[in-house]
Amino acid sequence: MKRIIISHETRQLFRSGAFRSLLLLVAGAIAFAAWSGQRSIDRQIEGATAAAAFEDTQRARMRGDTERYEAQVLAEGGQYEFAGARHAPGAGPPQGTNAGAVGASTSKYLTMPPTGLASFSIGQSDIQLNYVPVSMNPTMYITKDNELENPVNLMTGAFDIAFVVIFLLPIFILAISYDLLSSEKERGTLAMILAHPISLKELMASKIIARAGLLLAGVLLLGLAALFAVGTNLSSADTWARFGLWMSATLLYTLFWFAMSVLVNVYGKNSAANGIALAGTWLALVVVVPTLVSLLATTLYPAPSRMELTTAARAAQTEAEKDYMARLDEYYYDHLEFVPEGDERAMDFLTVAMSNRSAIEKAVRPLYDGFQAQLNRQESLVQRFQFISPAIMMQLALNEISGTSANRYEHFLNQAYAFHEEWGEYFTVRFLQRYPLKPADYDRFPAFDYREEPFGTVLMRLLPSLLGMLVLLTGALLIPFLALRRYQVATS
Amino acid sequence: MIASIARKEFSEIVRDGRFKWTAGIMALLLLTALAAGYQKYSAHMGIQRLSQDRTNAQWLNQGDKNPHSGAHYGNYAFKPAGPLAFFDNGINNYAGTALFMEAHKQNFAVGRPASDQSSIGRFGDLSGATILQLLMPLLIIFLGFTAFSGERESGTLRQVMSMGVSNRQLLWGKALGIGFAVLLVVGLCAIVGGVALSLTDLSADAASLGARVALISASYLLYGAIFLFLTLAVSAWAKTARTALMVLVGFWAFAGFLAPKAAVEISKAAHPTPAFGKWMADMRSHQMRGFDGVPPFVRFEQEAEEIFAQYGAESIAELPVYVGALRLQKFEEYDFPVFEEHYGRLRDSYTSQRRLQDRLGIVAPTLPLRSLSMALAGTDLIRHVEFADAAEAYRRDMVLKVNDYLATAAASFNTVGGTFVAEEAVFAMVPPFEFESQGLGATLSEHAGNFIALLLWLGFALLLALWAVRRLSVEEDR
Repeated sequence: MKRIIISHETRQLFRSGAFRSLLLLVAGAIAFAAWSGQRSIDRQIEGATAAAAFEDTQRARMRGDTERYEAQVLAEGGQYEFAGARHAPGAGPPQGTNAGAVGASTSKYLTMPPTGLASFSIGQSDIQLNYVPVSMNPTMYITKDNELENPVNLMTGAFDIAFVVIFLLPIFILAISYDLLSSEKERGTLAMILAHPISLKELMASKIIARAGLLLAGVLLLGLAALFAVGTNLSSADTWARFGLWMSATLLYTLFWFAMSVLVNVYGKNSAANGIALAGTWLALVVVVPTLVSLLATTLYPAPSRMELTTAARAAQTEAEKDYMARLDEYYYDHLEFVPEGDERAMDFLTVAMSNRSAIEKAVRPLYDGFQAQLNRQESLVQRFQFISPAIMMQLALNEISGTSANRYEHFLNQAYAFHEEWGEYFTVRFLQRYPLKPADYDRFPAFDYREEPFGTVLMRLLPSLLGMLVLLTGALLIPFLALRRYQVATS
Repeated sequence: MIASIARKEFSEIVRDGRFKWTAGIMALLLLTALAAGYQKYSAHMGIQRLSQDRTNAQWLNQGDKNPHSGAHYGNYAFKPAGPLAFFDNGINNYAGTALFMEAHKQNFAVGRPASDQSSIGRFGDLSGATILQLLMPLLIIFLGFTAFSGERESGTLRQVMSMGVSNRQLLWGKALGIGFAVLLVVGLCAIVGGVALSLTDLSADAASLGARVALISASYLLYGAIFLFLTLAVSAWAKTARTALMVLVGFWAFAGFLAPKAAVEISKAAHPTPAFGKWMADMRSHQMRGFDGVPPFVRFEQEAEEIFAQYGAESIAELPVYVGALRLQKFEEYDFPVFEEHYGRLRDSYTSQRRLQDRLGIVAPTLPLRSLSMALAGTDLIRHVEFADAAEAYRRDMVLKVNDYLATAAASFNTVGGTFVAEEAVFAMVPPFEFESQGLGATLSEHAGNFIALLLWLGFALLLALWAVRRLSVEEDR
């Protein structure tokens, strides 16, 4: 009997124009989202490539100068010498021999590679650059630049697959299942059906299975199509593992909304009241609660003001400049072992500038760390409060799965900070020793290799969100099915 | 007749549990949003004021140094929030707040609050504006979708019609009744919010505050009226209340959530925003090869003769001004057209995107309203551009003043060499930075189209409602 109902419902759904156009809408939305997600990722890659190429060209040109200089020294005899820092072009050894000049006037761009599923959930990747410059400038310069985007577009947010799943799918689900029982009751057919050997529970289950089955099959197939269309690294296991997680998360989230429909149908009165209740639930869980949680996070743990940070950094700079001799001493003291004999007080412009930078770095670092600390506190508050809204859980999960989460970005930045130390040290030491950089040294500059987080770490972070959704889903399923016993079959 | 229908509709709605719940929740959210908005606004304005004063003072107290080093030290422009930011925070979370004004470089405003926020912030801001843009229409739909369809289902429509009430009278009466009920919620909150705000010192600044409040209220009234008549139209047209509800909720979700994001993606495809890395590399290479293809160093060599002739000098020693300062200023000016081209290109893409998004408002009234609301609140792109322009003008003037001073004061260094050090007091020749908005003029002319779009939507909704009530059928035909 159950099977008959399921197949009957399925066939009827397929024939209904409304359902078919709804599926078409889902397909259209996912296709549009995949297209715009891919454009966003392509743009990031284009930016990263162009920035890295530009800076590498600058260094290549300096290297070219040293090659010519080396050839000249070989031909004419004499010493291969270190050039003092200059502002304008001039005679003598080229600036490329000066490690301080190379390190100060060119940057090394580090890139966080997108995961195979990056285009599925844009997350914060449209705001934060996933390619950052490392130079001899203070650490805060690493995150100084932002991705260029019209602030209106950032405010509106991306039309990515995550948006389709989190915002639109529940509306479609609500549209096809808000009147599961109520419509039969209103038409008076419910009592007739139940005259057959089928329980109300079974009837409800059959109806929901038909709908959920069709819609989910459609969505997961469309997801797979999107993966083939805009996913990358399709040959890597990582991509497929991430896609597997995407499917499970989507399954849990979608089923939760079907369960909500069942719940409302069981307790609800007429179809219109069910519709209001479901639309209200959607609004509360998907729109209102997330904005309230975000408001709570930013109110409890507001980020320190960037404006205050700026003026504090300037105060440190003025301090350093006014007292530059003391800063210079400090700077040399920090690098004592590298200072060449008899040159403790080399005081050219670049050395003074570098000692100032290092003084600013020291003064501002604690303030700067305050941002990451508050951000981490906000994130952990969101982690705790995510359980009150499946939309928050889903957004966190999808960002994690797509590799666009705050955690992965921090993982990348930490590597960038470590590399910044290494890069800075390399040039500082050679600059202080007045070591003339040779063309061959250019190949020995520190290289950056992004190390991906272990998959287990990602999984562990993902687990609370997935488990939370599972618990919500189970709850939303159990309550109505237990309550179905008291359902009134006919309107009195 | 209209009045008594309106009275009946109003009292029926107000007595309904549905109204008490939805209106109560909405009022609560609206007041929370206004309170939170005000708290953030006043905190931002306090810090902004303090930081601007501080950085202006830092400029004056930067110590004795070479004036050009002073220009490198530079100054910061901090962006004030906009007169009605507590109601509609607009793009403020996604636009920079601090703009560094230094020698040689035009900079972007950096420090977007959104990058210091959890990713959940991307769900949106809970502001008075979002609540009115998203929740008010839903409240109207919830209160009004049964206006005709419900009466038909319960059979009272036939009775009402038999009493000789014309369809139009019924429409106006119901519109008034529901409208008053919605105004009761929104208006009360607006009054409470307004009274609370007038007790603070907020109203002191912004000259055009009154005009802004009036225009913004008018826009939201129009917006509410659009949804009111659409709701009545669908309610009269639909055969059952549940169909009416589904159609209306579907349209609401489309207009409030899907259309804005789709419009953004479409506008980005039509007028792509360059990626930061690409844009930066393009501009810096352009700077290095010179605006017209003549690198700055070469160009200065070429112009050197002219400069000598201008001062009637044969050699550097005869120049009455410091040649280093002349060169610094020339180099500065060589970059102007490069900056204008590249920053201009970026800005043009933003403006074209926004205009296209506004034009797409013909498919969803939320789009023109959103744009209008931000603009009137002073939290939109136009104001941001105004701020960036003011900062760039200030930067150019600051560098010019400093280099001019260096040119005359350090003339003797042409032959002596070494570094000229000026006393700290000379930096007072650059006035402190203060951002003054141009006011409403530019905003209004740019957004006239959005007003028209809202009026067109209202006209369309009205016509639809009139058409739907004309063919109003009394029977529930199945």
